[in-house]
Amino acid sequence: MKSDRLLLFVMLSCLTAAAAEVDVARHYRVEPVMAPPGIEAQVGGLAVMPDGRVAACFHHGQVALFDPVKQSWQTFAEGLHQPLGLVAEKDGSLLVMQRAELTRLRDTDADGIADDYATLWAGFGLTGNYHEFAFGPALGPDGKLYVTLNLASNGDSIQEEIRGPWSDIGVPREKFYSDWANVKAKAGRMYSRVAWRGWTMQIDPATGEATPFASGFRSPDGVGFDADGKLIITDNQGDWRGANEVHVVKRDGFHGHPASLVWRRDWDGSDPLTLSREKLDALRTPAAIWLPENLYANSPTQPVVIPKTAAWGPFGGQLLVGEMNAPVLIRLLLEEVDGLWQGACVNLVKSESLKRGLHRLVFVGDTLFIGRTHLAWPGGEGLGTLKPTGDFPFDPLDIHITPKGFQLRFTEPLDASATDPGLWAIERYTFHYHAAYGSPQVDPAKLKPTCITLSTDALTAEVELPELKRDYVYDFDLSKLRSQQKQPVLNPRLAYTVRRVPSKADP
Amino acid sequence: MRLQLLKKSFIVAIIIAACGSAHAADKPMPKGKVMTMRVAMRDGLRFDPPRLKVNPGDEVTIQLENADSTHQMHNFVLVRPETRNEVVKVALEMGEAGPKRQFVPDLPAILAHSDLLAPDKTQRLTFTMPKQPAVYPYVCTFPGHGLVMYGAMYSGVPMPPLHEDPHLPSMLTQGLIPGGGRRPFVQRVFMPDSGPASIAVALPGEQNFCWDAGTCRLRYAWSGGFVDASEHWRGNGSAVARLPAEPWWKASAEVPALRVGAVHAEPPAVSFLGYQLEDGIPEFRYRAGAIEVREKITASSTGRGLSLRYRLTGATTTVWVPMPVAKGIRWLASAGEASHDHLRLTPEQAAEFTLTLSTTDEK
Repeated sequence: MKSDRLLLFVMLSCLTAAAAEVDVARHYRVEPVMAPPGIEAQVGGLAVMPDGRVAACFHHGQVALFDPVKQSWQTFAEGLHQPLGLVAEKDGSLLVMQRAELTRLRDTDADGIADDYATLWAGFGLTGNYHEFAFGPALGPDGKLYVTLNLASNGDSIQEEIRGPWSDIGVPREKFYSDWANVKAKAGRMYSRVAWRGWTMQIDPATGEATPFASGFRSPDGVGFDADGKLIITDNQGDWRGANEVHVVKRDGFHGHPASLVWRRDWDGSDPLTLSREKLDALRTPAAIWLPENLYANSPTQPVVIPKTAAWGPFGGQLLVGEMNAPVLIRLLLEEVDGLWQGACVNLVKSESLKRGLHRLVFVGDTLFIGRTHLAWPGGEGLGTLKPTGDFPFDPLDIHITPKGFQLRFTEPLDASATDPGLWAIERYTFHYHAAYGSPQVDPAKLKPTCITLSTDALTAEVELPELKRDYVYDFDLSKLRSQQKQPVLNPRLAYTVRRVPSKADP
Repeated sequence: MRLQLLKKSFIVAIIIAACGSAHAADKPMPKGKVMTMRVAMRDGLRFDPPRLKVNPGDEVTIQLENADSTHQMHNFVLVRPETRNEVVKVALEMGEAGPKRQFVPDLPAILAHSDLLAPDKTQRLTFTMPKQPAVYPYVCTFPGHGLVMYGAMYSGVPMPPLHEDPHLPSMLTQGLIPGGGRRPFVQRVFMPDSGPASIAVALPGEQNFCWDAGTCRLRYAWSGGFVDASEHWRGNGSAVARLPAEPWWKASAEVPALRVGAVHAEPPAVSFLGYQLEDGIPEFRYRAGAIEVREKITASSTGRGLSLRYRLTGATTTVWVPMPVAKGIRWLASAGEASHDHLRLTPEQAAEFTLTLSTTDEK
C-alpha cells in the first residue's frame, strides 16, 4: 500500500517535471555538441577564436577547436596540467590557466597546432595540495587579465617539494609531513601557506607582470566581467562562506575568507584564523549576492554577459552564471546602494536537458556554449548549446530595493490579482559568517507584504514589506502570480541579498 | 473511491510492465554458488572495481567500503538491466524524502541496496542474483553521483574488454596514459619525487624523463612505458602520476640548474619561460639570473640515455653545470672541462653544448 502511494507520488512528480520541461522547451532550445573524439570531455575553459571557432580545454590537458559550421574538432594543444580557463587573443593565440602557470599557446608555423607554450606568469606558490586550483583568466575592459588562486584544503596534505615561499604563520611545515592528523585539525579547513592562495591577481598580458588585486577568496571558480565592466567572482559555500557567493571585486578588497590575509604586504604576522569576527567584518567586503545552498546553487561557476540582441530580448546585458550540481543557469541582478553592491539571483532556465556540471560558458553570437565537468565531485561531461526560441517566458526581469521594500519588474504585464499580498510568499533569513562549513538559514521568518502596487503598464510591482534588514536574504516564491495571459512564472524563485537599505530621501 | 481504484490498477500494470519477469523472479530458484567480493567507493565518483563477474542464482556478498577521500557519501544500489537511468532519476526527485530514505527509492527495479555510507564506513551486503543472465548495473543514487558513478555486474554473460564496455561510464573505459602511447609526448602532471610544476616527457625509444619547471632542471629519467595519470585525473588530484619503472637516474632535490662564476657560488634564481615543440619534443626555456637557457632533451640513439643540448645567452663569466654522479651513470660533454660533478664552461663554450647522460651498462 505504502509503496503504491509512493510510486503514485513518483509518477505524478515525473509528470509534473515533464510538464515543466515542456514549458522550458517553449522558451529555450538545448542541443548537444559532439564531443571531441578521443578526449574525455570535462571542460575547464571555453573561448571564441577570432575565426569563430570555439576553443575548449579539457581535464587531461588538451585544447581543441570546434568549428560550428563544419561540426568538427581539431586538437590545438596537449599535455597541459588541469587547464581551467581560456582567453582567445586577436592573433589567434590562446591564454590558458594551468595548475602551475598562465601560458600563451601560439601556432608559430601556421600548421593549425600550437608549438609554442610560453609561460606568461608562474609567480605563485604550489604545495601540490589537490585543492590549489587556478581559475581564469578573464580579460578586463582595462586590457588586463584576472586570475584567481584557490586555497588548499585540509582534505589532504602537501607534497614534499613545493614551489615558492612558505608562510610561517600557522602550523610548522614539517608537521604537515609528520603529524597530519593534528595539522588537519589546526591548519584551517582551507589554508593559504604559499603565495597568493585565496587571491585575485591582475596580470599584464604583454609583460606577465602580476599585481595582487584582492584577497579573501576560497574556491573562486568563476571569474568574469559584467556588462559595465565590473569584475565578478563567484565562490563556493564552505568555511567563511555561509552560502555560495557572488562578489563584485575592487582593488585591495578583502572578500571574507581570512586565510589569504597572510600575504597582504602590510600584514602584521598574526594568524588570521585567530582574529575576531568583528575585526574580520571590519576588513571585509561582503558578497553582493548570496546563492542559498540547494535552493539556488551548490557550486556556482563562470559568470558571462547575455548578449544585448533581439534573440535574447529582455535578458540582454544581464549576467548569467553556471552551476555544478543542478541543471540550472542563474541570472544575477546587481545594483549599488550606499557604495555597496547587492542584488538578486533568479534562474534563467532549469531543465534536465542541460544536464549537470555547467562549468564554462561562452556566447558565440546568440548561442550559449556550455562546457561541463565533474572532476571528483558531482557534475557532468560534454558540451551543449542553449538558445532562446523567441518565445520569452513570463519571468521576473529585474529587482531594485526601495526604502520600504522591492520593486520587481516582469517580462510581461502582471494579472491584477498580483496586488493580493497573499499571493506573494516571501521569507527572509541570513547566514553565519564563521569558520564552520556553510551555514543553516539563520533567523528565518515568513513575511507578508503590507502593500502591493502595480505600475500602470502592470510590468512592475512595488512590494512593501513590514521590515528590511541589512545582511539578510529576501527569498521570493512567485509561483502563485499570473501574467495577464494567465501564465505562471517560469522561474518563480528569486533571492535578493540586502547589504544596504536606501534611505527614504533617495529616489 | 473509484478514482483511487483506477489508480491502483494502473500502478499494478506499470509495475508488471516495468519488471517484465517479476513473477518468475519470485519463484524459488536453484541455489547457486556463494560469492564474496569487495567493492570500494573511490575519489572521482567511481566504484572499484567497476565490474564484477557472478553467475545467475549466486548468493553474493559484497564487502563495501566508502574509501572516498573527498568526504562524499555513497550507496550501492543493484538494479535490473537497463533501469539505471530511471532509478537515478527517481532518486533525484525524492525531495525531502531523499535523505530520510538514503536516496533509495521504492522501485521494483532495485534488487539490493546498501545504506548511504559516510566516508570510511563499511557494510556487508548479501543478495541472490536473479536467474536471468544479464548485465546488472550497480549505481550510487546519491544526488548527482548516479550520472557517472556506476558499474556493471556481469551475471552469466561474457565480459567485453574494458575499453569496449558499453555498460561503464566513458571515464573508466578510456586509457589514461597521456598521449595514449604516442611518442614524443609532453604531459604536465604531478610527478613523484619532483616539484609540483613538473613536466613528464615521453621520447621515442621508450625513454622518458621528468623535468621540473619549478627548479628548471632534469630530475630523473626512466626507460619503458610513459606515466599513468589515471589516479591523478580520476581522483581529487592529490595522487601523483605513476611510473611503470624505477628511474635509472635521479638528481637530488638540491641540485641547481647551473651556477655562475664559481663552482660553489649561490645558484642564480631561476624562472621558467615555457617550451617550444620541435617535432613534438620540447625545448625548455628558462632564465637563470642574467642568463637565458634553452635546453632540449632527446633520446640517445642507442640504449638508455639522454642527450641534453644547451644554448645559453647572456653568460659573461664561467658557467658551471651540475652533472650529478651516480653509480652506473656516465656523463659526457661536447665542450668545457669536467670537474668532479660539474662541467665548467667559458661563456663562449656555453653558447651551445651537449651533455650526454647514459648508463655504463648500455650495450
